[in-house]
Amino acid sequence: MEPTFDIPDSTDWLSTPLTLLAPLESSLRCQVCKDFFDNPVITSCSHTFCSLCIRRCLSTEGKCPTCRSSDQELKLRRNWAVQELVEGFNLARPSLLQLARRPAEGDRVTVDGGGQDAEHPAFKKRKIEQEDGTQTGAGEGIRTRSQRRGVVRQIETPPIEIVDDDIQDDAYIPDDGLVACPVCQRRMKNEAVFRHLDTCTGSRAETRPAAFGSLLTASRRPFQEVTEKPPDRLPHIHYSILKDTVLRKKLKDLGIPNWGSRALLERRHKEWMNLWNANCDSKTPKRKTELLRELDTWERTQGGMSTTTPDPSNSVMRKDFDSAGWSADYNTDFKQLIASARKKNDAEVRSTIPGASQAEPDELSSTLIVEPPTEAQTQIDRCSERLGWSGKGARGADSFEP
Amino acid sequence: MSISTNRLFREYKTLSTNPPDGIQAGPVNEDDMYLWEALIEGPIGTPYEGGVFAAELKFPKDYPLSPPTMRFVGGGVWHPNVYPNGTVCISILHPPGDDPNHYEHASERWSPIQSVEKILISVMSMLAEPNDESPANVEAAKMWRERRSEYERKVRGEVRKGLGL
Repeated sequence: MEPTFDIPDSTDWLSTPLTLLAPLESSLRCQVCKDFFDNPVITSCSHTFCSLCIRRCLSTEGKCPTCRSSDQELKLRRNWAVQELVEGFNLARPSLLQLARRPAEGDRVTVDGGGQDAEHPAFKKRKIEQEDGTQTGAGEGIRTRSQRRGVVRQIETPPIEIVDDDIQDDAYIPDDGLVACPVCQRRMKNEAVFRHLDTCTGSRAETRPAAFGSLLTASRRPFQEVTEKPPDRLPHIHYSILKDTVLRKKLKDLGIPNWGSRALLERRHKEWMNLWNANCDSKTPKRKTELLRELDTWERTQGGMSTTTPDPSNSVMRKDFDSAGWSADYNTDFKQLIASARKKNDAEVRSTIPGASQAEPDELSSTLIVEPPTEAQTQIDRCSERLGWSGKGARGADSFEP
Repeated sequence: MSISTNRLFREYKTLSTNPPDGIQAGPVNEDDMYLWEALIEGPIGTPYEGGVFAAELKFPKDYPLSPPTMRFVGGGVWHPNVYPNGTVCISILHPPGDDPNHYEHASERWSPIQSVEKILISVMSMLAEPNDESPANVEAAKMWRERRSEYERKVRGEVRKGLGL
């Protein structure tokens, strides 16, 4: 149970007074993988995704997952602004969350005072009135961006007591419409901060304890393009014009496994191309060995080493499924199962009703042999009809006359 | 952890910390993220009101590129868009590939940005408003179209039966 809930996600904010951060966080997450944007790129229809996610979508479908307009990998452009937003938010997130969760625990847990008694004499209490009107009003703008969830629930919170310790009380913020440089604390106009930061010497930095997620580590470097030459992107291949041997050689030249069927070779190459080209979008590209490890994960989960077929039909059998062949192939297995079931049944019958007849288990086994395949088969037929795998569009609707 | 399990874990967490009204869902067993069970309450103001419908969702390994399949378990559901074996036939569960009947807009189909939550909400509204243009259960569709009161009576009967009344 526990590991599941260690995954940070936007609903973490819903249990805190800062519920409005949930839509903000969810807009910093990719709609495909639900994780924070990783090397975000923007499509020609202006939707942003992780580079790898959108490449995978485009290589299977050729359409934007959000608006379904056709797009090409080549038209993807990096979205640095979003990347910086994500990085900045991620730096602040842990301490922000910790702070947001503190009031709830403040009643019983001593936050930083060690052996202080329950009264927390060192803390000042400040009441914050939750104003519903302003909350929802402010949320509107963000919420429209969050396409993922229609309605964000407002958690009803009683008036909250925020426990401030003395350190934070020191950080009094004058209401002058200016903002402080996070490094030297000099106050200036909002627009001037970033320019100032490039030259800031940070002379006052030591005097201020970094109580709340040290921004010093996040001090903003002027954004620069990658200085070294980025790795070359892999071009698209028109698989249909390549012979098996040529494709195999190509995979070998790329340094990736070249075993398996033709279809697997194409899928593996596609995955490698996506991994590689997405890595080219990264500010700090990974080494090839790391990419090879990722390809190996793919191989084990979806590729040639996965236990089930990667085909979407893996959950349901095909219409042309050879049930006779199947039952012939697994005849001995079925018989074994029946034998063990019979044995088990026998044992149970004996233990409950001493001297029960032998006829019952025989009946049971005959139904076991006949029934499961037929029942399964009808289900298969229906499902494959539904999903149109028969290729003729044989749907239930065809037989329906109004 | 592969891409699909990672995403399913996230969806699971979101659904458990912030579930939509009348919907519960999660993996049957956390060792296998590809098989989920879901409980959907019958929408209020419909003959399904008061019922709780259990369904299983099976996810493909390349989820979210491909959609899951969904099946009501335990008696199925009498509804024009639910096959007699319980399989749900709804556009959001269909990949946007070929559509032999051209009755579904591509925009209603599966896309990687859809989610379990959206599927379950769609199924809930499907219970309230059947789409009789693409019936999966022809008998139910005919009854819904021609003999509405009988349809509602039958559904209510099944709901009561499902609750063990």
